[in-house]
Amino acid sequence: MQCEQFEQILEEQDGGALPDPAIMHVEACEPCRALLADFGAIRDVALELGAEGIAPPERVWISVRNQLEAEGLIRELTRGLTHDPQAAPPSTGAGWWTVFQRPAVAGAFLGLVLAASVTVGYWSNSPQTAMQPQLAAQQETSPVPSADSVFKEEILTVGSDSIVGLQRQDTAVSDSIRRNLGIVDNFIQVCEKSVREEPDNPMAREYLYGAYQQKAELLATAMNRSIPGGLQ
Amino acid sequence: MNEAEAIRLAQRGDAGAFERIYRLHNRRVYALCLRMVGNPAEAEDLAQDAFLQLFRKIATFRGESAFSTWLHRMTVNVVLMKLRKKKLPETSLEETIDPEDESSAPRRELGGPDLLLTGSIDRVHLERAVEQLPPGYRQIFLLHDVQGFEHNEIAKLMDCSIGNSKSQLHKARMRLRELLQETLRDLARQERHEAKAGEAN
Repeated sequence: MQCEQFEQILEEQDGGALPDPAIMHVEACEPCRALLADFGAIRDVALELGAEGIAPPERVWISVRNQLEAEGLIRELTRGLTHDPQAAPPSTGAGWWTVFQRPAVAGAFLGLVLAASVTVGYWSNSPQTAMQPQLAAQQETSPVPSADSVFKEEILTVGSDSIVGLQRQDTAVSDSIRRNLGIVDNFIQVCEKSVREEPDNPMAREYLYGAYQQKAELLATAMNRSIPGGLQ
Repeated sequence: MNEAEAIRLAQRGDAGAFERIYRLHNRRVYALCLRMVGNPAEAEDLAQDAFLQLFRKIATFRGESAFSTWLHRMTVNVVLMKLRKKKLPETSLEETIDPEDESSAPRRELGGPDLLLTGSIDRVHLERAVEQLPPGYRQIFLLHDVQGFEHNEIAKLMDCSIGNSKSQLHKARMRLRELLQETLRDLARQERHEAKAGEAN
């Protein structure tokens, strides 16, 4: 066997058992023996590299957490809700649909989403926004319809009877939902700002619509859970 | 809270569990990103993306593979996706080896006993040498020898053939060997120089 052939086998076998002719060759050939030993040394040190880690800056976790909160994916389950695993439905998956178990809540939710769609659609389809950039600039100073006002109005028309009748039954759940509402409100503000700055950016509108949906879901959950302060 | 419990709670959206999972895996995820892209700022973004993707999909984790393997695959996918989007040469698996360019082509060095790497190289030497590898070689080497992926997994991840993965890995090791031998020669030269300087004084 020639050295080139041995190298070819080494490449194909890659860590597997070498065939007999290759073993015989490597026993007789010092350069190939050195090559085999060096590959082994490289692999051993590489394994050490894989085992060790480098800590990322703390800002990475802060960003991840903020984003998860903004998306409504996390909540303080262990601090307040562990006694009631069903307290708040997951933001994705089957639990999401549990809010539709009550017709009134489902109606309120759909109303909220429709209102959000109309609001976002109005911005995105506005001919003034699309064709006259100077008007878009003017919009920066004119107030964007507040998400809160849209939702409050919808809640008042669709779900006011339910809210009035709700009682403070679980302060932990109530606090958790209020906290999440605050987070989503902040996210909505950021999204509204983005839409004002870039009215033609479909991504910005999509994010805003997503934020409205998150808020709608939270409000529907609040109604479902009999939280009177969902809109406060 | 152990990892299994943290995963179960995270699947229900528990904030503490998310943080626990992050703390358990952040070092390896960040290290992988950093080694693959070689840029700390970019590695931070990628680690962030990887964890976000993990937490968005954690409800779908069924425990069919080890969680760390699942996370690793996700991280590698995030990194590779980013590299593909950048459309830089580093996404290419086929390193163009110019036969005229001796500096880039892996070449067979007949190592004498003084150049044997066994026992002579450490993590720092290897890390520096890996940084000097062409990006395609580096990715395959990191995935296989550092992260422990098999060639069939690498082939899927990088959308190449198993043979290609093996070939690239072999070339990467050859190049690394060459770089490490150069390092050892430099060190030996430096020692001789210092010894001479000491004698002169």
